[in-house]
Amino acid sequence: MATVNSGQSVRATGSSRLVRNFRNALPWYLFIAPASLMLLALMAYPLFDTLRLSLFKWGGLGPQTFIGMRNFSKLFGDEVFWRALSNSLIFAVVVPFVTVSIGLFLGVAISRRMKGWQIYRIAFFIPVMMSGVVVATLWANMFEYNHGLFNTVLRGIGLEGLAQNWLGDRNVALMSIMLVPIWQSVGFPMIVLLAAVEGIPQEMHDAATMDGVNEWQRIWGLIVPLIKPVLASITMLSIIGAMKVFDIVLVMTKGGPAFSTQVLGYYLFETAFRSGNFGYGSAIAVVMFAVVFAVAYGYVRGVRIESVEY
Amino acid sequence: MAVERLTSRPSGGSARVRRTPGWWAGSSLRPIIYGLLVVGALVQVYPIFFLLMNTLKTDTQILNTPFSLPTSLSLAPFVDVWTGERTGMFFGRYFFNSVIVLAATLVLMLSISCLCGYAMARGQFPGNGTLHQALLLSLAVPAHALAIPLYFFVGSLGLRNSLFGLTLVYAALGAPFTIILMRAYFMHMPVELEEAARIDGCGRLGVFLRIVVPISRGPIAGMAIININWIWSELFFSLILMNKADVRTLPLAIALYKPAPMTVETVLGLQYAAMALATIPVLILFFLFQRQIASGMTMGAFK
Repeated sequence: MATVNSGQSVRATGSSRLVRNFRNALPWYLFIAPASLMLLALMAYPLFDTLRLSLFKWGGLGPQTFIGMRNFSKLFGDEVFWRALSNSLIFAVVVPFVTVSIGLFLGVAISRRMKGWQIYRIAFFIPVMMSGVVVATLWANMFEYNHGLFNTVLRGIGLEGLAQNWLGDRNVALMSIMLVPIWQSVGFPMIVLLAAVEGIPQEMHDAATMDGVNEWQRIWGLIVPLIKPVLASITMLSIIGAMKVFDIVLVMTKGGPAFSTQVLGYYLFETAFRSGNFGYGSAIAVVMFAVVFAVAYGYVRGVRIESVEY
Repeated sequence: MAVERLTSRPSGGSARVRRTPGWWAGSSLRPIIYGLLVVGALVQVYPIFFLLMNTLKTDTQILNTPFSLPTSLSLAPFVDVWTGERTGMFFGRYFFNSVIVLAATLVLMLSISCLCGYAMARGQFPGNGTLHQALLLSLAVPAHALAIPLYFFVGSLGLRNSLFGLTLVYAALGAPFTIILMRAYFMHMPVELEEAARIDGCGRLGVFLRIVVPISRGPIAGMAIININWIWSELFFSLILMNKADVRTLPLAIALYKPAPMTVETVLGLQYAAMALATIPVLILFFLFQRQIASGMTMGAFK
């Protein structure tokens, strides 16, 4: 009898707790509802639909034909796709490496209050604020063969031989367009790393000074180890940004000449929205997703983000 | 730690930081470093100066004497691109399209993100942890991977070629990052005020609207500032969703504006004027909110 009673009472409080919990939780669900619904409709659903569409052949209208993995096996033999993938990877290695290295140099130099540091900080940061299309159009004009700024300068100072068809020569074009995001975005790692360097307590610098370190040792022995988590996260952001390059390619080269500047984002756009191969385009999107996701996952796994204890 | 950066301490080179003088003093590298800084700063600034100068020059001047300063100072090129009568591209209209999309996206994105971030920070409900994980994962999804289904989905809602459709897409793309940062901020916010209001009989939404939002104006403005940049510059989704001429945003219009040089007197000049139209507001914004922009960007990267 007693046991039954206690059982009942437990059940009663249990269910009333459930009701109470639900009552407590309900307002919170209403709070998260707008964002959740929007993200489900405009991010989660499209992501799964991209995965699904990559298994179909579809021209945008009419029936979708299931073809299994054939889009992917076609990708495997598609030379343009390999060009796009390798160019994207080159982008994702070169651009972040250069921008973060320059950004680190600038951040350290500016943190030292070199004369005119406010001016350098502003000068390097302004391009970050500009829109990618404007920057790309501006550089396309400067790279122009006959009247562009670069060739005019080179001819003017007698280095005629160095004048290039910057965007029209397939051996040079990729390098040329990589200069643009480097120019535009060095200010971003600079500003972030500057904040990180300034977060290092003065006492640690004083201690290092007492040990009589030189500047080189201070940078590699003190500053870089302490800002490593920030360095890692800014590098990852920069890699992901470089993987997604699109504006520059659209404005400056449209992937040419001879696919020498084709990248995943632009190839996806051309395949799906210019040629109307939405299934094949989805397969490219899946590859792009996989690569970016792998980078982000590798970052989370490989580099533990712990806030450094000072 | 990252959140306090935005609210209290101006970072990115505040003059308050104490420095022992003369660290570089003995270094022989000093002149080289100065040289690099000065040349680098010139390389960064000159193209922007070049852009602004070219808005006032004729095609012949732009092409033949790229380093000369403009001979006349007139706003005529800006008026031309703004009205679009000579160019057929109505940049005044595109400018307003961009402003509308920007404002609407910020309002929508910040509202849903603050609500959601606040609930995640304060509420205890099943699914909270999962939601946080999902949001973190979504940061690693490139927007291009969503483009094809979004194109058809937005089309099926009848929102292609609509500024509202573009706003929805932008708000969704920007929301995860904003939610995560707002959640982090709300978790550090002291809870006492809210509890007092609860005891006074205020509902959850009442507390949120009357207490939480007003005292969080700073961080909310910070979130707006760090999102303005990408929304103003976004090209990809504008390109695929906006096919009609009158709904183009500014970046899309600039990307599509390809004048043939030397056909009339000033075609390149007009192109530069259009580019300046997109750039000048950003430069003004930068000089007004330099500190907030720097700390906002920093906050983003620290997460």
